[in-house]
Amino acid sequence: MSVNKIQTQEFIQQKFAEYYKQNYDSIQPPTSLEKREFAFLLFKERTMLRHKGFKTSEDFKNFLQSVTPSDVYYSSAYYEKPEEEMDAKAWIGADLIFDIDADHIPTPCKKQHDTWTCKNCATSGHGAKPEKCPKCTGQKFEDVSWPCDICLGSAKEETINLIDVLEKDFGLSQRVMNLAFSGHRGYHVHIESEAIRTLDSIARKEIVDYMLGLGLEPALQGFEKETGPRLEDSGWRGRIAKGTYEFLLSATQEQLENAGLKKKTAVQILQQRERILESWKEKGPWKTLRGVGPDGWQKIIRKSIEKQSVRIDTVVTTDIHRLIRLTNTLHGETGFKKIEVSMGEIERFDPFKSAVAFKHGTVVVAVSDAPQFRLNDNIYGPYKNQRIELPTAVAMLLLCKGAAKIAEETVYVQ
Amino acid sequence: MAQPPLIAGRKLVPTSTLDLAKYPFTPQAADHVQKLDLKITELDSPEYSRIVERAKKRIEESILYALVSDQTRNDEIEILSFPIAVMMVAAANDPFLKRRYALAEAKRAYNILKQENRQKLTEVAQVFEWKIKPVKADADALMPQATIADFTIHFTNYLKNTGGFHESKWKLVNRAMLNGEVYLTKDEAARLLAEEVRSHLEEKLNIKIDITLPHTIVEEAEKLKQLFLSRKGKIRQEEMPKETTIEAFPPCIRQLYNMAQTGHHISHIGRFALTSFLINSGMPVENVIECFRPASDFSERMTRYQVEHIAGGRGSRTKYIPPRCDTLRTHGVCPGMDEICRKVRHPLAYYRRKLRIIKAQAPTPAASA
Repeated sequence: MSVNKIQTQEFIQQKFAEYYKQNYDSIQPPTSLEKREFAFLLFKERTMLRHKGFKTSEDFKNFLQSVTPSDVYYSSAYYEKPEEEMDAKAWIGADLIFDIDADHIPTPCKKQHDTWTCKNCATSGHGAKPEKCPKCTGQKFEDVSWPCDICLGSAKEETINLIDVLEKDFGLSQRVMNLAFSGHRGYHVHIESEAIRTLDSIARKEIVDYMLGLGLEPALQGFEKETGPRLEDSGWRGRIAKGTYEFLLSATQEQLENAGLKKKTAVQILQQRERILESWKEKGPWKTLRGVGPDGWQKIIRKSIEKQSVRIDTVVTTDIHRLIRLTNTLHGETGFKKIEVSMGEIERFDPFKSAVAFKHGTVVVAVSDAPQFRLNDNIYGPYKNQRIELPTAVAMLLLCKGAAKIAEETVYVQ
Repeated sequence: MAQPPLIAGRKLVPTSTLDLAKYPFTPQAADHVQKLDLKITELDSPEYSRIVERAKKRIEESILYALVSDQTRNDEIEILSFPIAVMMVAAANDPFLKRRYALAEAKRAYNILKQENRQKLTEVAQVFEWKIKPVKADADALMPQATIADFTIHFTNYLKNTGGFHESKWKLVNRAMLNGEVYLTKDEAARLLAEEVRSHLEEKLNIKIDITLPHTIVEEAEKLKQLFLSRKGKIRQEEMPKETTIEAFPPCIRQLYNMAQTGHHISHIGRFALTSFLINSGMPVENVIECFRPASDFSERMTRYQVEHIAGGRGSRTKYIPPRCDTLRTHGVCPGMDEICRKVRHPLAYYRRKLRIIKAQAPTPAASA
């Protein structure tokens, strides 16, 4: 590691230490503290310190102060003995966790702000990393993904959909749901409820499949020969109707064909849009639409299910031993904090304001490469090989992302 | 007799002896038995002979037909024979017999429950602390459109009792669910309740209880176990062959295997599925490790650690089996089903089936000679 890189890391850790000192009171350990496992990603060693347990809130906070980790996690699970090895922990139950990550949602802007670099030959490019390096066919990449308004906006939209399904279909009240911005690329919904706690991984997989619409048989959700669900129906029935409504009325010919429909069928659908719109006042287009056979309908329904599915991370929800970032702690890749979002505020919630942890001062950094981004009400970048004085939060984001280093002459004044 | 109740739930009312005979697994039935002050040490005496006979019959029926008959002619015998049968099966201590007996008693409960009225079924469900409500056919304004249902149960009760079911109609995504309540017909509710009975009974059979049964009763239990083992031999699954046959891999494993061979990146769950599959197909650990060598970031030390762990050589010493088909589907590992996939639920079941097909197609030594 270069001197500069070590300095940068020490600087980040120093800032993190300040944060944890100043926010001693706002960092609250989770409920049932003594039954949770804690894990800390360490700055210097880059290893995870696992199987930690604490008896009191003070013990936990003091440990946090003394270690200053880059990331803080706790188990969604409750254990009799959280400090033992996995096999001896004695699992009691686990909260239900949903993770909605912009990584799982394809957005056009990724091409602009995400980059990858081949670890073998240092070839780099924009967008999602390729399967193989186009130059040396290597398969290991360093990839940098940037949080941006569009990506986080689409993650937010999915989160709103998720909460809607949890409330309406699963009957879960907002009281048991805890919503948070992860501090990087998405949102977490954390559900603490006695009834759910003991669900095993197979049961949770069914909840995941419900969200994704996976394994859904249209015939079992009201779609039969010449009849189908209505827009006002509840659950997946209504969602199939809504998805079909949206798809048939908004899709271009190309999109219809991409869904697997024949060119002729696609053209016929486009010609009948008036009729389709009209049909929803009655029983829907299931019987009235001309030129679409049972096979065509299957494809339309598949597409409508896809449109209505909630794109959650499947592994997080089914894992009953999951470690999850603690609210109000810092994200090592951004210097943002994970922050709770009140349910009523989600529409207006601005992660690039609320998650900012470092609010004062400026830092001079040497930026190698960074796309344009927004923080608070200002736009920064793009930067390329330049030395610049920036507000601390902006500098921290660049430093944590590895896109900048501490400028050599920087003397940090508190 | 100090028989702890099977479950500690709400009261089943009213408790006629007929009800207790129908549902001998309820705490009310256990209370009833306790009051009769049965002497376990005297079970071999003639006064208990009819009860012991019925207990034996219960177990025998479970072995032969996987179903305990519904004999309600003598309620007392019916009630008392149940805990005795449970003790005998526990004493025989064979995990497969325990499972089969629990299943057979659950089927008996199912047959009775599906004929009960809504009120009675609700009461039995409440014994298991279910959140269940009878649906008033046309008065339920909230009821999802065109749903035929007699009950709603909370989705957690639903999920806890459908984990072992594989028909697509049981998938939560295919149910009418509103406000956390899943709509069920009476037959479906009876089916799920029977599943609850099965899992509770299985749990009960695995609790070690310190009761000394009379010698003759233990002998009877041993005889029944022998009967079971002789039957089980007939249905025992074929042993896995020693050599791994790549041609018999299911599509998912074949794809993962090809990806490993060509050094492609494989997701965590994909690597786990492939490794555990190969281990279970009988491939030696060394060969499994070799499969991953083409990866550009191959580390022999890490790979060996992971493979040996999955093979049961490290840590918990559990030998892992691959995830079921539907789990692989959830995590996007399933590349799509072929004909055989439609008939199985597990990659290893596919493998066994395909091996049989390959074997059947192969020319026999006599034919090739």
